[in-house]
Amino acid sequence: MEVHSLINTIAMVVIPIYAVAALLFVIRVLKGPTIPDMVLAISCLSYDLCVLMCFLAIYIGSSLLVLGALCLALWAYILDISVAKYLEGRELGE
Amino acid sequence: MLVQDPYSVLKLAALIIGGVLTVVGALCDLIGAIGLLRFPNYFVRLHAATVATIGGAVYPLFGVAIMSLACDFLGVARWFISAISFLTAIIITLTAPTGSHAVARAAHKAGVPVHPKACDLLEEDRKRGVVK
Repeated sequence: MEVHSLINTIAMVVIPIYAVAALLFVIRVLKGPTIPDMVLAISCLSYDLCVLMCFLAIYIGSSLLVLGALCLALWAYILDISVAKYLEGRELGE
Repeated sequence: MLVQDPYSVLKLAALIIGGVLTVVGALCDLIGAIGLLRFPNYFVRLHAATVATIGGAVYPLFGVAIMSLACDFLGVARWFISAISFLTAIIITLTAPTGSHAVARAAHKAGVPVHPKACDLLEEDRKRGVVK
């Protein structure tokens, strides 16, 4: 029972901080003057969501959420590499 | 009381270490987000983004992996959550610097504007033809 209350206390601290950080990343995605700024903010947002999903898996008690976190981490890497390839050569798949 | 039951001592230690890592990581993430919003140009924002990925995603994932080992109420699922959190942390450690490095190189090559600029030796070398 005390484990549950400790997890609840940590969740009360952590979840609002991550929500505020995600809001600031979204503002940068909408404002970003160039494409690399948007890509940087979107990959930061993906890692942020990934941590939040792993924490919510403990908090809710559902183990299926962490599979989504693993896919999100790999998706952010694919986004980075493909946008870098496009910016460098101005075309994909070559 | 602490000496009598070593299992509960280990559980409490895992909870405290995991909780401290998670809270410190959340603060790092907030600092990185503020920096990403406030810094003047792309290459300075990259620094804040690195704080937000390594400090704000890898440390909390290790914290969650340690913390979920102590959660008895999850049953067998705690091993699952712990293993995948650990794996995700290692994947982010390897891929986030690689991806941001590739995007930074491509952005410099594509000519992203740098507003307060002191000197840019790579651009001068590229103009002179030393570097392709």
